[in-house]
Amino acid sequence: MEHTPDIRVLALLSNQMADAVEQAGAAVVLVNGRERLPATGVVFDTDLVLTADHVLERDEDITIETASGTTLAARLVGRDPASDLAVLRVDGLGIAPATQGTARVGQIVLAVGRPASGGAMASLGVVSALSGPLRRRRGVAVEQVIQTDATPYPGFSGGPLIDAQGAVLGILTTGLVRSTPLAIPTAVAWRIAGLLAQQGHMQRGYLGIASQPIHLPVAQRGGLTQERGLLLMRVEEGSPAEQGGLLLGDILVSVNGQTITDTDQLQAVLSTAPVGTALEMGVLRGGAVQQVVVTVGQRA
Amino acid sequence: MTIEAELETERDPVTTDLAHGIDALVRRVLASVVRVVGQGQGVGSGVVWRINGGIVTNDHVVAAHAGGVAVELDDGRVRPATVAARHPAFDLALLHVEGVAPGELRMAATGTAAHLRVGELVFAVGNPYGQRNIVTAGIVSGFGEARLPSVAQPLRYILSDVLLRPGNSGGPLVNAYGGVVGINAMIRGGDLAVAIPTEVVQAWLNDQDQIL
Repeated sequence: MEHTPDIRVLALLSNQMADAVEQAGAAVVLVNGRERLPATGVVFDTDLVLTADHVLERDEDITIETASGTTLAARLVGRDPASDLAVLRVDGLGIAPATQGTARVGQIVLAVGRPASGGAMASLGVVSALSGPLRRRRGVAVEQVIQTDATPYPGFSGGPLIDAQGAVLGILTTGLVRSTPLAIPTAVAWRIAGLLAQQGHMQRGYLGIASQPIHLPVAQRGGLTQERGLLLMRVEEGSPAEQGGLLLGDILVSVNGQTITDTDQLQAVLSTAPVGTALEMGVLRGGAVQQVVVTVGQRA
Repeated sequence: MTIEAELETERDPVTTDLAHGIDALVRRVLASVVRVVGQGQGVGSGVVWRINGGIVTNDHVVAAHAGGVAVELDDGRVRPATVAARHPAFDLALLHVEGVAPGELRMAATGTAAHLRVGELVFAVGNPYGQRNIVTAGIVSGFGEARLPSVAQPLRYILSDVLLRPGNSGGPLVNAYGGVVGINAMIRGGDLAVAIPTEVVQAWLNDQDQIL
């Protein structure tokens, strides 16, 4: 049949998306780590595979299957239940790591998974929203999440959300928020994966304070222009905060020179501050600004 | 000013071409899609496969109406049709419209399902809940295989994420070139659309020719 120029544009887009699945699919593996349906993983570094934590129901006897159908033994290197990510080492994997990309709202995306032998699967959608931080009971799990309307089919957890060029924008998981498909942005997922590969677990920064955002009366701003700060409601005994000299009733206004007006901002700073980092904290105490140095500790 | 008029004014080549591309593709396909009507009710969709009145649909669409059905053509005319052949295992049926005048039916252009790749754009056209000419878009999500007791070769079928609803059955799955690559048959696991590949339809029809 003849093709009008209009339809040719559709065909180009169609072929490009199929190429994207094929290209990204080379770094997408099947992960066998539970009794029921297998799940998916992405090669993010030499011999290292990133997958979802909740799809690994056992610590041993894990295998992966590559795009070419080869089954290889995998060793669990580390898990982070808070972000639902886990890292596997596969000796002699020999697959080039996936290309990284950054998600933008409205962008056409494909969810890719390898839940069965015999070819990757995919679904189409857009980036619906970038939101976060995502909190769990013990603080921030990930700073940002990608929401998409692309359908994650059973076994897609641990697989990539890719753009039309095949770059990985995020790692899919249905295990973070019940029945809500999300993707962890590549920049965040790769950083957590790198730490898991190095040390086997995630150290999340711990200060030992409970705080509440409050409005600062003009007379008590100590010359600052900001209208809000974090009132310390509790300073745990023996915690980094106490050792650094923070007191109950202090009002936290800055960390390392960056204004802090709500708890999300503090969590965002903490999520990127490795254990052992010294943070210079500005607090209002008795109506005047004081600087206190607190060294980030590790949650027991 | 409507959004379409705005786009026309801006002459954004990619946007207008994509929009026109889908419009051109859909208009071409719609001419070959019929609504299959049972006893006074719309029961499904069908594709004009042969210029002499051969229309392909799903077997489950006509199973309860074996005495006879009618097809509503693209221009709204309703013509009686007989069920000429059935293949319950493939969920296929061939309808025949008697006394078709030259040029009355527009044969669907067929594509090659065997060349489909995961990620390719596909469109479903049909009559969900009896509504005429509903178009949904998606991609090829994967392929499945079914071993059927009465058939030697396993049936390889197309999986896609196009939205299907009751009444879409028997309608075409169309690739980005406007070719029919499959017949939409069912929904698997809540959100995967299953289509019977064009080659399977074609091979079955060829067998019918030999018998007839």
